[in-house]
Amino acid sequence: MTSLAIPLNEAPTETVSKGRVPGNKGIWVGICCEFVEFIVLFVVYFVARAHFPDAFEQGADRLSRLSGTVITLLMVTSSFFIACSVATMRAGQQRRSLYWLIAGLIVSLGYPIAKYFEIQWNLANGINGESGIFFTVYYYLTFNHLVHATWGILGILWVLARHLFGGYSPEDYAGLEALACYWHATDIIWLVIFSFFYVLA
Amino acid sequence: MNDSIKQPSSAIAPLSTAWLILVALTLIAPFLGLWLHGVGWLQLLVAGIVWVKGWLIARQFIEIELAHPFIRRVMQGFILFTPVMLLLTVFLGNHFARWATL
Repeated sequence: MTSLAIPLNEAPTETVSKGRVPGNKGIWVGICCEFVEFIVLFVVYFVARAHFPDAFEQGADRLSRLSGTVITLLMVTSSFFIACSVATMRAGQQRRSLYWLIAGLIVSLGYPIAKYFEIQWNLANGINGESGIFFTVYYYLTFNHLVHATWGILGILWVLARHLFGGYSPEDYAGLEALACYWHATDIIWLVIFSFFYVLA
Repeated sequence: MNDSIKQPSSAIAPLSTAWLILVALTLIAPFLGLWLHGVGWLQLLVAGIVWVKGWLIARQFIEIELAHPFIRRVMQGFILFTPVMLLLTVFLGNHFARWATL
């Protein structure tokens, strides 16, 4: 009995002295794996860029900057809304938290829609995966990011369903915060991709 | 004593400020490539903007200053990786290409 009680008493002290884990440990294992995956993909980008600097300088001019900017605004805004959902939950405003999360979901759904129109625009302008090294790397990175964002959107749907049925409270909102951390990490990755392909001409 | 321990924030205002800065930087970014085409320090500016945006999200949205040191280091390392690599590729591109040739 005594040996069972000791770890329970020590846990809060350890949390305070070492800092908190936003969300839960599981999501941070996932985020670290996501970062490692994208670091590998970014290295592919840098190696290709170092070998073919001209192709990368001219490539961005052929892409739709409008699409890249719209997707970035959607990512940043949905990230903000979900951060507000966490903040209002902490403040004990559960209904507001739910509304922020719904807003975050609606805005995040704009990303795959904008991506669809971007690809249509690309194909209409003769840009596909075989249009050169720049576009091969562009499709490789952006599709990978879309896959990760889709997982995030599915995560938002799951958390929203739990939220609707009162699954979170100001005392226990780890699941909501875990989703928020994943979405923020996916947002940071998109900001890098945006600068790679749409800004650096 | 507990007053000195920072708690996660429930305020919307700092999140709104961070979001407005992120939107402003996003709207400026596409024009940088057009206005500063061929200017040497464009890459430096873009690398700086990428870092600032990542730092804002990590600090305001994820609140890494309150997080466990491992999480803090992972986030800081990832946010710093791209700007540094971008500058290395721009200024030492030939060396990097030679080093990365199979």
